[in-house]
Amino acid sequence: MDYAKLYEPGQLNLLFNKHTFFICIAHGVYTSFALFFIPYGAFYNTAGEDGKHIADYQSFAVTVATSLVIVVSVQIALDTSYWTAINRFFILGSIAVYFAILFAMHSDGIFVIFPNHFPFVGNARNSLSQISVWLVILLTTVVSVMPVITFRFLKEDLNPTLTDQVRKLQKARRKQKPLQNYMRRVYRRNSRRSAYAFSHQEGFGELITSGKNITMHNSISWIENLRKKTAETVNSFSSDRTVKL
Amino acid sequence: AMAGIGALSGNKPDNTAFTQQRLPAWQPLLSAGTALPLFFCAGLACLAVGLGLHFSSDTIRELELDYTGAPGSGHNCSRCANASLAGAGGCTCSLRFELPERFPGPVCLYYQLSNYYQNHRRYSVSRDDRQLSGDASGLSNPATECSPFRTDPRGIPIAPCGAIANSLFNDTFALYHLANGTFYPVPLDNRGISWWTDSNIKFSNPELINGSLETAFKGTTKPPNWPHAAYMLDMGNLNNTGFINEDFIVWMRTAALPTFRKLYRRVHEGNFSSGLPQGTYRLDITYNYPVLSFQGTKKVIFSTVSWMGGKNPFLGIVYLIFGSACILTGFVMLAVHIKFQKQNQMDVE
Repeated sequence: MDYAKLYEPGQLNLLFNKHTFFICIAHGVYTSFALFFIPYGAFYNTAGEDGKHIADYQSFAVTVATSLVIVVSVQIALDTSYWTAINRFFILGSIAVYFAILFAMHSDGIFVIFPNHFPFVGNARNSLSQISVWLVILLTTVVSVMPVITFRFLKEDLNPTLTDQVRKLQKARRKQKPLQNYMRRVYRRNSRRSAYAFSHQEGFGELITSGKNITMHNSISWIENLRKKTAETVNSFSSDRTVKL
Repeated sequence: AMAGIGALSGNKPDNTAFTQQRLPAWQPLLSAGTALPLFFCAGLACLAVGLGLHFSSDTIRELELDYTGAPGSGHNCSRCANASLAGAGGCTCSLRFELPERFPGPVCLYYQLSNYYQNHRRYSVSRDDRQLSGDASGLSNPATECSPFRTDPRGIPIAPCGAIANSLFNDTFALYHLANGTFYPVPLDNRGISWWTDSNIKFSNPELINGSLETAFKGTTKPPNWPHAAYMLDMGNLNNTGFINEDFIVWMRTAALPTFRKLYRRVHEGNFSSGLPQGTYRLDITYNYPVLSFQGTKKVIFSTVSWMGGKNPFLGIVYLIFGSACILTGFVMLAVHIKFQKQNQMDVE
């Protein structure tokens, strides 16, 4: 319950409402246009590296499908804010499994067994060995993902949500933490004060005793003050400084 | 109380990093320090790739010759076009053209069709891959998707069956180069125009019976629009007749878009192994394929190739546009970020 305020956006329905839904739809429509029209333009009336066919229906399908899987994986990677080994395994693993299944379905062996069900034989090898196909996939990924990064960065900079501010705070705190631990250890050896005054961070005490009514605007400025005070406490080397309540 | 504590410790999960969700984690944050350099780097990379593609596309030489011969255009092939509208085939026309500069080899000769929807769903499923891979049961019993080109009116199965095979492109071209007042034929190579996997794995002829392909095709008949049966596609070359005829394989690889080009021949032999020299040429066309009924057009294209394929300026231009947009957005975000930081600091003070 360090940051109880973080439960508020869920209660106020801020994370999934009509506005967010339509933004999602618009994002999907934009990505779909990019996924189709960029390969469309690149494949319009073109030929492969040695002159052979690459603008055929099956190669077009493989290009669009591969772009889709990569765009979706990159989007998921952007959304993941807590990367453990499990996340890495599943996200990179799903791309690897996609390619494994793709090459398996386009292999010679399975065509010999079921010719009418696996007519894409040889396709993955032929189209994914063309440099222009990979350039199309790269362009589609970059075009789909860059606007998302733009909007997200601008939103976090100009109008950060509570979660963003708390994460920034945690990050700043973690950077200062080793220094603080070292100082604390050194300090405790010399001090006779109780652990109580120094093992606590500033809590809700100031808030409650001030009798202020918490609204979104107040909480933002409150967290700003909290951040400044924490930075001050950590940076000061004076052992006699007590945290004001 | 003791029993209560015992029961509690029995349900307690292990104290490992995995079960207590304490795994080491990387928690990236989209801050100005990461997002802005990313934008500038991506923009520069896209610009570099775009310039490379653009210059590469510029070095590719291409020449298009439209020979549809729409009536009233006064084209050499209008007479043949009228004949094809009436239903007759086998008309010949010739086009004289100038090559403005030398085309470095190997030069690829394509035929291009427009307004031709090989990606039409009913058309694109009208084939039997089992029959085309040489399966004997496919010859006697073609797939039902091939109908109405599955059997002829007498009930004899068609080989190869389906609408795609039936609509095989059958115009032929012969190229001549003018040198010292006479036209010398330019050798056109028809080998290696289809994918290796297509001509070796996907398509193969049925087992020869008594060393003869004709006997292997016994009991089947040719598609309605074909002049001869499949085993007569290239009588002189057993490796290029029947289902493994490379022109047939190239046609069966259905195109994705309504305007498409398919490789017909390559010029890289004999006197022209280093390419087509500048000069006057004559192209003799046997105009068999009717396209005027659906407002389609036919073109012959001479093109050189490079590491990125044929001439296609689209990719280079889009990379350049996107690279510039990235860099521009980067500057805008930088300006917004700096302005907001200043404003934020002023507010706090």
